[in-house]
Amino acid sequence: MRLLRNILDKQERLFTQGGPLERFHPLFEAGDTFLYTAGHTTRTTAHVRDGLDMKRLMTIVVVALLGCVYMAMYNTGYQANLAISMGAAALDNWQTALYQSLGFAFDPTSLLACIVHGALYYVPVLIVTLLAGGLWEAVFAIVRGHEINEGFLVTWMLFPLILPPTVPLWQVALGISFGVVIGKEIFGGTGKNIFNPALISRAFLFFAYPMYLSGDNVWTAAQTSTDGVSGATWLARAAESGQAVFVPSISWWDAFVGLMPGSMGETSALACLVGALVLVVTGIGSWRIMAGLAIGTIAVSALLNAVGSTTNPFFDVPFWWHFVLGGWAFGAVFMATDPVSAAHTNTGRWIYGFLIGAFAIIIRVINPAYPEGMMLAILLMNVFAATIDHYVVRANIKRRSSRYAT
Amino acid sequence: MASTRETFLDPLVNNNPITLQVLGICSALAVTTKMEVALVMSVAVIAVLTLSNFFISVIRNWIPSNIRIIVQLTIIASLVIVTDQILKAYFYDVARQLTVFIGLIITNCIIMGRAEAFAMQNGPWESIVDGIGNGLGYSLILMIVGFVRELFGSGRVFGVPVLTTVSDGGWYVPNGLLVLSPGAFFIIGMLIWGLRTWKRDQTEVD
Amino acid sequence: MQRNATYVLGFAAAVCVVCAVVVSTAAVALKDLQDANLSAYREQNVLEAAGFSQPGEPLVGQELAAAVARLDASVIDLATGDIDPDIDVSTFDQRRASTDPGSSHRVDANRARVMRVPNNALVYEVRDEAGALEMVVLPIEGKGLWSTLYGFVALDADLSTVRGLTYYEQKETAGLGGEVDNPRWKALWPGRQAFDAAGGMVLQVVKGQAGPVDQAPHEVDGISGATITSRSVTYMLQFWLGDTGFGPYLDRLREEVN
Repeated sequence: MRLLRNILDKQERLFTQGGPLERFHPLFEAGDTFLYTAGHTTRTTAHVRDGLDMKRLMTIVVVALLGCVYMAMYNTGYQANLAISMGAAALDNWQTALYQSLGFAFDPTSLLACIVHGALYYVPVLIVTLLAGGLWEAVFAIVRGHEINEGFLVTWMLFPLILPPTVPLWQVALGISFGVVIGKEIFGGTGKNIFNPALISRAFLFFAYPMYLSGDNVWTAAQTSTDGVSGATWLARAAESGQAVFVPSISWWDAFVGLMPGSMGETSALACLVGALVLVVTGIGSWRIMAGLAIGTIAVSALLNAVGSTTNPFFDVPFWWHFVLGGWAFGAVFMATDPVSAAHTNTGRWIYGFLIGAFAIIIRVINPAYPEGMMLAILLMNVFAATIDHYVVRANIKRRSSRYAT
Repeated sequence: MASTRETFLDPLVNNNPITLQVLGICSALAVTTKMEVALVMSVAVIAVLTLSNFFISVIRNWIPSNIRIIVQLTIIASLVIVTDQILKAYFYDVARQLTVFIGLIITNCIIMGRAEAFAMQNGPWESIVDGIGNGLGYSLILMIVGFVRELFGSGRVFGVPVLTTVSDGGWYVPNGLLVLSPGAFFIIGMLIWGLRTWKRDQTEVD
Repeated sequence: MQRNATYVLGFAAAVCVVCAVVVSTAAVALKDLQDANLSAYREQNVLEAAGFSQPGEPLVGQELAAAVARLDASVIDLATGDIDPDIDVSTFDQRRASTDPGSSHRVDANRARVMRVPNNALVYEVRDEAGALEMVVLPIEGKGLWSTLYGFVALDADLSTVRGLTYYEQKETAGLGGEVDNPRWKALWPGRQAFDAAGGMVLQVVKGQAGPVDQAPHEVDGISGATITSRSVTYMLQFWLGDTGFGPYLDRLREEVN
């Protein structure tokens, strides 16, 4: 370790003021502080507001996400192996070739085989996200002369988890580039962004390349089709035929654990619940947003259950199914609670969460085009987060000043 | 008094009606999915803007000031209708794709804006130059946006396939977002961002 | 500057007169050209549906004239299926007619989500030299996911075999529903049967693959990722080929053919 420190120290003068590589100081700094604690300390009076800095926050989010990452690998492989063992053809790509050359069979019962197969899809997406997104982070840090912000690491972890396993890697690179540049840097960088960068990246891909981000055949890494082995997400099936479809073939428990097709890391409500506990206990994720979201979802789905519809069976799906299908749990725990783009006041968080839950169900059930509404609902409320806070603060000021008025 | 050269060149970059004044956005979003359509729209706007500037400038000293806005509007509206009729007669296919947006040139703020701000105070020659300059400034942005949207949204330039799309058996996957109106928003936004990074004085003070 | 009221009124009147003259001159002078354009445009779409021209390659010159000469346009009364001799074919605008309360009527809620049906419709018949019917091209429309789709369907002389289907106006999702424009999808249609032996309109767009014509005469592949648009194509065919649309007209032609 001493050796590494020495190497870094020797290189440092190249990057400091007056050094030949001065412009690239952010790159050096990012690498240095990633490996070691920052060398400089505050020179003025201490101003600790909270013992939590960005790096620790990041570490906790990563811990909270571990369950989802595990499911991203296991379930992606499990779904692929399951589909292939049921008769679907394997995808004709390097992943399949490598998987077979390693001597694995398409066996859904083997834990290791599933994890390896899933990792072959998840890990490349993760690497591409880091390279492409990190490149833009570095470019902006160098041009603007500030240090590379660790906030990107959260985006980096989140983005691959909300993509389908079959997403082409060039789209991953394009999506994260859009998210970092348009979703974040254009507003001035981390902390100033209106939208959640990972979600805006996904929204970009969703609208730009709908063929690859929607439909029934992108969610499983095998050649699913309407006639053969179906690759439709359970959410899409619910949209198609309502609750009836679940009774014989699909158990709520499987959906809760996350053994169903979907975006890589979003299928398991259980893993998200564990993550929620970690975030809430450590105080990083707002429990108010999550609770508001659940109440909004329950309220609107109960309302739709009561109204009913003869033409749209999705109306009858109860809220406990909404919780475990699609990206609801992942969105509620990891996306809606993003501290930058969410509401900041406590009352605001309740309202913000409630409206996301309400809009997500409205989009899911009533919009004919998109079976999933979580992404769009969160992005929509991202826009209004500041407005909600504004009125909450104003109401607070008004209430307090009225105490003195009399 | 600005020189004729400045009157002409200023609206292209330094005082561009779309990127600096943020006028005429509505049509810039609507007609830029194809370059051919954007070009016809550009020519139509240049024609209407130049002629309206000219006519209004010619009669500016006779226009009673209390009805000047409605007089300007009448002249612009007449020019737009004539343009629309000509396009339907000679460029039917493009006119069909432009749908209501030719008619909506009437409400394009650039044209009323130039009539009120420039043609009412300046002679016919300067007004023509100002009309062409502003029209070209508008057209420049339209063509850039149209180029990006058509090339990456459908793999074509002026309708000629450049990037062979997957549905035609090629390799290019068209970007559907660029075909939607928000796509144009992003491009215009990035143009403004780039322009204001290049020319710092265009940045608005908070 | 302040002027007296007479001057203002006079000036306003002068501007109005000049502008009115210019506008009406342009409108009148260009009317013939515009009408010619409209019918030429319509004919190109009909020719494409009828299979005389390929998508994206409009006919020109003599080929166009020869193809157009084969089209026999007529305005029919949708309720009876008979040709309405009182309406001039060259100026009849079906889309305008279907929004005008005087020339259209409301229809009950239907799955094609057509709100109003015109009393009259413009149809094209293709006949051989002896006058026997070869093909008929009918306009269809209906709501898709985001937009109303407008197109034509061409039926063979047996009034069941599809010769072609084309949409000339739609704003569905590019890459998904927008693929109704894709020549490869349109190429799936010729040869399919619209009606079964009992005379029911059974042609439908299915989810997934339907297979070649001889295996699935009544089914067409769905457009991947575009369930709603695919479905609406089925619905609008059901609407327009059924009694709500061209049913009476098709019955009349069937009698003529047999």
